[in-house]
Amino acid sequence: MAEISEAQDSDSSKLLDSDSKAPQRPDSEPEFDPKLMRKSKPGLKRLFLTFSVLFSFLLGFPFLWKSVEIYRFPLPFREIDSLSTQLRSDTLLFPLHFHALFVGFDSDPDRLRRSILSEITKLTSQNPKCSDNYTLSVTVDLGSRCLRGPTSSPHSSSYQCGSVTAAAFVQNDDVAVDERLASVFGGKTKEYSVAVVKGGSERAVVGKYRHAWMVVGDGSDVGMAAVKVAEVLVKVFINGGREEGLIRNEFMPVGADGKIVLSFNLLNADPHDWVYDWDFEKIDDTLLTPMIEALGPVANISVESQVLYHTPKASFSYWNQKLESYVFSTKDLPFFVNSNEWHLDTSIAAGGRSKILQFAVYVPSAKECPLLLQLPNGEISKTNGFISPMWGGVIVWNPQGCLKDSEFKPSAKNIIPIQDLENMFEVFIGQFRQLFGFKSLNVYTNASGDWNLLPSERGLTEWELDVLSWQHTCFNLHSCATTLGSLSRLVQSLPRMIIKDEIGKQVKLSLEAAKLALSNASSGVYESSAASSSQARSLAEDAFFDPSIMSVSYYSFEHCFAVYSPFFLPVSMHVVLAALRELKRYKQEKAKYLAWKAKANTAT
Amino acid sequence: MVLLQRPHILLLLIGTHQFLQCWIAFGSVNEEGQKQAEFSEELLLKPLPDHKLLAHFHFQSSGPPSTSNGCHHHLFPKAISQLVQKFRIKEMELSFTKGRWNYESWGGFDPLSSSNAKPPGVELWAVFDVPQHHIDASWKNLTHTLSGLFCASINFLESTATYSTPEWSFPPASGNVRYGTLPCEAVCTENLTPWLKLLPCRDKAGIALLLDRPSLYRGFYHSQQLHLTSTGSSSEGIDSGIILEQTLTVVLQPNSEMAIEVHASEKHIQPSWSLSSIFGKQVSGRCVLAKPSSVYLLLDRGLSAANGLTSENFWSNPSFELSANPDRIFLEESSSHSKSLSILYMFQVEKYCESEPFDIGLMWKVPVAWLCQQTPLHASRFLMGSGNERAAIAISLKSTQFTEGFMSANSKDGSCELRVDVFQVVPWYVKVYFHSLRVFVDQQPRAVSDIIEKIHVSPSKDKMSPGVMEVVLKLPCRVNTAALTIEFDKGFLRIDEYLPDANQGFDIPSAIISFPNFHASMVFLEDDSLNKSPLLSKFQEKCPVMSYTEVLLVPLTTPDFSMPYNVITITCTVFALYFGSVLNVLQRSVAEEERFLKAKAAKKTGRLPLLLSKLSAKLRGRRLEPLHSPPSSSSFINSKLVLKVILVAGLAVGWQYFFS
Repeated sequence: MAEISEAQDSDSSKLLDSDSKAPQRPDSEPEFDPKLMRKSKPGLKRLFLTFSVLFSFLLGFPFLWKSVEIYRFPLPFREIDSLSTQLRSDTLLFPLHFHALFVGFDSDPDRLRRSILSEITKLTSQNPKCSDNYTLSVTVDLGSRCLRGPTSSPHSSSYQCGSVTAAAFVQNDDVAVDERLASVFGGKTKEYSVAVVKGGSERAVVGKYRHAWMVVGDGSDVGMAAVKVAEVLVKVFINGGREEGLIRNEFMPVGADGKIVLSFNLLNADPHDWVYDWDFEKIDDTLLTPMIEALGPVANISVESQVLYHTPKASFSYWNQKLESYVFSTKDLPFFVNSNEWHLDTSIAAGGRSKILQFAVYVPSAKECPLLLQLPNGEISKTNGFISPMWGGVIVWNPQGCLKDSEFKPSAKNIIPIQDLENMFEVFIGQFRQLFGFKSLNVYTNASGDWNLLPSERGLTEWELDVLSWQHTCFNLHSCATTLGSLSRLVQSLPRMIIKDEIGKQVKLSLEAAKLALSNASSGVYESSAASSSQARSLAEDAFFDPSIMSVSYYSFEHCFAVYSPFFLPVSMHVVLAALRELKRYKQEKAKYLAWKAKANTAT
Repeated sequence: MVLLQRPHILLLLIGTHQFLQCWIAFGSVNEEGQKQAEFSEELLLKPLPDHKLLAHFHFQSSGPPSTSNGCHHHLFPKAISQLVQKFRIKEMELSFTKGRWNYESWGGFDPLSSSNAKPPGVELWAVFDVPQHHIDASWKNLTHTLSGLFCASINFLESTATYSTPEWSFPPASGNVRYGTLPCEAVCTENLTPWLKLLPCRDKAGIALLLDRPSLYRGFYHSQQLHLTSTGSSSEGIDSGIILEQTLTVVLQPNSEMAIEVHASEKHIQPSWSLSSIFGKQVSGRCVLAKPSSVYLLLDRGLSAANGLTSENFWSNPSFELSANPDRIFLEESSSHSKSLSILYMFQVEKYCESEPFDIGLMWKVPVAWLCQQTPLHASRFLMGSGNERAAIAISLKSTQFTEGFMSANSKDGSCELRVDVFQVVPWYVKVYFHSLRVFVDQQPRAVSDIIEKIHVSPSKDKMSPGVMEVVLKLPCRVNTAALTIEFDKGFLRIDEYLPDANQGFDIPSAIISFPNFHASMVFLEDDSLNKSPLLSKFQEKCPVMSYTEVLLVPLTTPDFSMPYNVITITCTVFALYFGSVLNVLQRSVAEEERFLKAKAAKKTGRLPLLLSKLSAKLRGRRLEPLHSPPSSSSFINSKLVLKVILVAGLAVGWQYFFS
């Protein structure tokens, strides 16, 4: 205040000064008009003061802005965008190596190679997302020496000439042949081999490992064999022998944290008629454990089971006199699962984002037994079960007691015979394969002929696991990119959302893992690529579903405005107006002074 | 191999011969399995003195030891087994209660009331088998899981300010126990449905068929409990499984129309009832999986004494009539401290089927009045004081006179003492002054150290932990009344800590009053069948007599919830005014304004201002100045102001003088 009053004083004294001077010299300068001129320089003090207030005000704004700012970790938006564009534009490339071995043929390996390559390119043109970067080597085994093409291929060198002979294929035991080829091709290498052998009965088999063989008649054409070789390489080894449109490849029933819980339920529709129990532990050890171990790189699978009672189905079935059984048709399937009464329950043991696949064995009550599933073509389903993608599978098991003229009398508590249980679980494993998109049949039929697929005791053969692992990597990376993309869109659209350090850390780690997965995939390290891709996906999901994103303390800009405007609106109006007015006054006064000066100059 | 070579399975192809072979092979497993997992369903009906009926459903499943990582469940509910394994729970009890147990008329000295009378709302306690520093994390996860499982807001027990760690007064005395209550939780059918889902037959068959929602929730008291004990712990190496007890206790009012018809003149006759009249349903056979499935009718000691029933004549009793013949009758083993004996009628549900449903009815012939056996002291709790600042909690214990026989029996020499344990949890915003604890015995203040044998106090921390008080009182046997008072300050809460309905008040959870020297147990004769019935073997267990006090409602000062905005607006306006005036002063150049005014006045000398200035000049006895000088004008304004102030002051003085 002291400053202000001083300023006022000095200012007013100056003005008084000019006032007092003005009447003294009215005659010396008669043209002096106090309205238009002044003799003294206008004071800068007041202007300086008002502007200092204005500037301190303006200077204060950044501090205020800083103080009301909410914490936002700077997310790497650009990197997220680049990841998704990278995944969208250039497809993921998995380097593969194919090896075709011709035994008993006498033709130029380079020519064969060219014809197979052209067939392969014809077949692979339509894979949109994840494709393969393959190399092919062809060996023609002439017994004593080999013709290799290309001659300097590092891959085919492992093959020793003369180790595969036509004699080995004469016997009809496919499993033995498979084992023999596995030892020849060095079963563990990541190389897909097809052996074409001339002489013998025609047969085409895909083995448990990464190879297939084909026995052709003596007089058959080499070109025809090349077409078939290309087909098995593309359709079976790359695409996993699945048909387009059966189940879309993008759907992998794997939880965001890379876990699957297989929940097996035995449903006793009406325990008044009979109650069945099962010996699940035994089946778990013998049938499920090998499969779970085999799928280890793709997903972490756990198994649990329960028995439920009073669980009627929700759809109707009709008595069919000809079949002497109750029949439900495929159009009833959407209503079969009774979500009111089948309290299958999500598992507490499973983490929040694990995928739960429900497998249910339905034991019908006496009123609807035996219960059969009729296919649309009128036939009766042999498995008596069905799957629901991403949910699981159901099998109807008719107990012995409801069959006609059976002397079996159900007691209070029965156990499902182990033979039945094994059959049931084979169906379940087939259903599980179907949920992953594989066929449950062991024959791959194609335009050019049938391929027998040798089943593995682990449920999935090695080449199938390879396919799953690529597909899993590809799916994970895409889903990671989409999740991160939507997170970045969300964050950018809500400028006043708090983003904690954890989210930023997770996003960063996820991006790193995704990059690692990409580089590993292109260098051919599938296992670590699959592992880091699933890590990338789970981290991205963690970031997206972080509880702090949904926190209550997120408040909008309107709220901030409502809190601060009662102060800042009136004050800033005052300050700005004062500054403007002072500026205007100063300019006016200065003009007056200049006018006087000009006049004085002209006078002198 | 097997998998793909034979995927087309025709289940019907399996011959009977093969099947039988398998059947024989699995016979042993079958027996073993039956031994492992068991389920029982029982219902106990008990007429209460005040014309009401107590129905106590008791379902017990015992799970097998988890040999196969506990992933495979046959009879035991999967959810509970996974819960126990995940959080390594040794013992847990969760209860949902609506209404208050009336200790005076429904009794407090039998196993039923001491273990099934619960405080209103949700009560949860759990004992964990984890290292000390993991217990709180386990508790938090457990509350979240349970709230998901039972559709209740148990997750509010997650914050450390809502649960406590009882040291020794809480019955499962152990350091790993956590205890929390939600007194204002509403209990309804959405909590019952998930509870029923844990039963193998749900409410589709067996005794649970009686659980008709409208008649259940019409009752006076409704308590649904889940108690689980994991007998083996993995740290000890032995694992003998989990026992899950699910009980539902309801007190219902039977429709007394039938009784009025028969004995219209007699008002005091007990209402006759039957299962179908109470629940509107009948039991059409047992749940197939339940091993014992039975209904009991309990006539307690007082009732059988009033009826004149003794061990000789209970077959042909004159005062009531049962609509079904009991399969067995159990007599209580005679105890030293009561003359009369309880009688238990047992009905086996197995015998009944859908064509012949089970329905038991009881028809009274003569009016009967009796009293239930009560706790040694009747406890009640109330608030003292008024205002929004301070208050006091008082726990009063009143002798019920009923158990005087006990007391004299317990006193061997002259110094007879009655031990009472009090466990009280108060939320942090009730700031208890523990030094203000005072004890009154027979309305006489007594020194705290005389009466209190042992005390454990853990003071509350703001927003961190509740205050816990555990007291052991030693009262003389002949005591009539005893009271504990303790003062507290009402704390202030932050605006976001208030509940949605803040003006309703805040609940102080029930205190637990237990009498460790008294054990409620009922031992029934004929032991061979007792092993089979989990309900009766539970009655045999010696459990200390316990009672819960009322829930208190403390009104706290509630702010005007729009206050923050009002404060912001007012402060901002004041600041803005201040700023504006300061700027105005800064900017104003008095001299220049004067000049401006002068110029203006010179330009147009209006009639009125001239006249006014002349007038003022005359008033002040000065000569008229043609042009105002700035100081004179300001002094003019000042004098005018002074005049005004004097006028107002004079008016005020006159006003004061006139009215006084």
